[in-house]
Amino acid sequence: MTAQKSPISYQVKKTVVETSLLALAAAFEIVSRHAPEMKAELADWEDGRIFSLGVLPNGPAISLQKKGSEIHYLGKGYHNPKLKILFKNLDAAILPFTGQIGSHIAFVQRRAILHGNVGEAMQISRAMAIVQSYLMPGLVFSKIFKRPPKLTPAQLFLKARVMATIGPAIFMKIWK
Amino acid sequence: MIPQYYEFSCQVKIVSGLKALQNLPYEMDLLGAHRALIVTDQGVAGAGLIKLVESVFTGSNCEIGAIFDQTPPDSSSKVVNQVAKLFSNERCDCFVAVGGGSSIDTAKCANMVVTEGTDDLLKFQGAERLKKPMKPFIAIPTTAGTGSEVTMVAVIYDDVNHLKLAFTSIRLYPNVAILDPKMTLTMPPKITAATAMDALTHAVEGYYCLQKNPVSDAFAIGGIKLILENVEQCIKNGQDENARLALANGALLAGISFANSMVGIVHSIAHACGGVARVPHGLANSILLPWGMENNLEKAGAVIAELAPYLGASTKGSSLDQAKACIQAVRDLQKRLKDLSGLPTTLSEAGVKKEQFEAIAKAAVNDGSATYNPEDVTIEVVMGILNKAF
Repeated sequence: MTAQKSPISYQVKKTVVETSLLALAAAFEIVSRHAPEMKAELADWEDGRIFSLGVLPNGPAISLQKKGSEIHYLGKGYHNPKLKILFKNLDAAILPFTGQIGSHIAFVQRRAILHGNVGEAMQISRAMAIVQSYLMPGLVFSKIFKRPPKLTPAQLFLKARVMATIGPAIFMKIWK
Repeated sequence: MIPQYYEFSCQVKIVSGLKALQNLPYEMDLLGAHRALIVTDQGVAGAGLIKLVESVFTGSNCEIGAIFDQTPPDSSSKVVNQVAKLFSNERCDCFVAVGGGSSIDTAKCANMVVTEGTDDLLKFQGAERLKKPMKPFIAIPTTAGTGSEVTMVAVIYDDVNHLKLAFTSIRLYPNVAILDPKMTLTMPPKITAATAMDALTHAVEGYYCLQKNPVSDAFAIGGIKLILENVEQCIKNGQDENARLALANGALLAGISFANSMVGIVHSIAHACGGVARVPHGLANSILLPWGMENNLEKAGAVIAELAPYLGASTKGSSLDQAKACIQAVRDLQKRLKDLSGLPTTLSEAGVKKEQFEAIAKAAVNDGSATYNPEDVTIEVVMGILNKAF
């Protein structure tokens, strides 16, 4: 007899990953509007670049696009992205989304794979690290960054703003 | 320490030894192939190595369908499509790459084009995008350095979009790698030194970078041992077939190691130096290796220290002392290779200009190898290394 995954544990994991992806999308939008280091990173990206993060084989996914100098959430699923960052399964995705490992470690351990250009993926990876510095508690910084960032007062203020607005922002994205 | 999680693969049959080349038709036959497309370059053909390959088909039921000997040092999508077209037009049924990394990567990519029935390689960029079984593929390296004969990676330049394209797939592994010392005897001393340092860099970076694992470690250590024991002899007496074979095996072991553990900042900057200042890859790695190790002392010093006995460094003192001794051992090797072969030890000697630093740094932080480096790879870090290595 083969053991089967509990449908409840699968649904819980799926919900965690879905919510984390929406939080990441919301934080991307807020941080790209206000953080100078994010604007500097985005300056080299071509306008209109669409990228997606998702879970294989048919797990949750989101698509984001650079428009002007900001990142905008396009919706759930894959919206004709130029580049995809794909986690091999829900367990692989939960680790970086819950701050247990850095997103670079997800690649290092081959829990995530890339479909697209490596140079562009490196840019996205840096942008994700910036977003994570505003989204994740300082407690997990040493686990998720090679060099944990030291946030300035202005960055801490923006982090507080992200924290204050992320809940409603996620809620607004649930149906998009 | 065992990593929390890792993956390891090497699906290449290795055929190594004096006269190993004679087995080429037999290996083709085993793969169900009988008409080979040889992918090589002018240097290899000019050195008479393709004549050696042609000679082994005498009396066999296999044949050479066509020879493509125009592979440039940095191959491109245009070249790949030419090779794929030749393969189809000449009704070949297997690829045989004879050369260094460029010829082997060109054959890997042409195999993708033929198998997937497309000339648009852009859509296969990234990891594990190839789903169809590929055509039989045999690699015969003529340098002892790149390790491309045992990796599942191919890199080429896209002429149309002016991009470097990288592909990773378990389907890109050659079926067979044939190591025959006859194929490396004609390598001049400086290229022997540079390619061996390339291999040493694969092993050393593979040992301390983030994707290291117990299996790749074993290959890295084996590689370091064979490379260091044989590189100087190969330069002093290029006709020493035993030393050549051992060095080729060292490069192969290093290749298996880094194909799984990946590499770090040395490769990030070396790739960028190649792209911006046309510095040959092995030479750039050779110059940058001690600086890259130094950059990782804080994060990976204890791991680097484990290499002390294999690098011929002092095993006395703290792990930091031993790691520093490893770096010194690499510098001492650089000096000996410079004396023996004229291999440059600084970026200025390699033709890099200071005004190129900014472009190199920008390219280096966007290189995929940066992900696997223990220390963060930033513009400032790369600029610091470039200035020191100049």
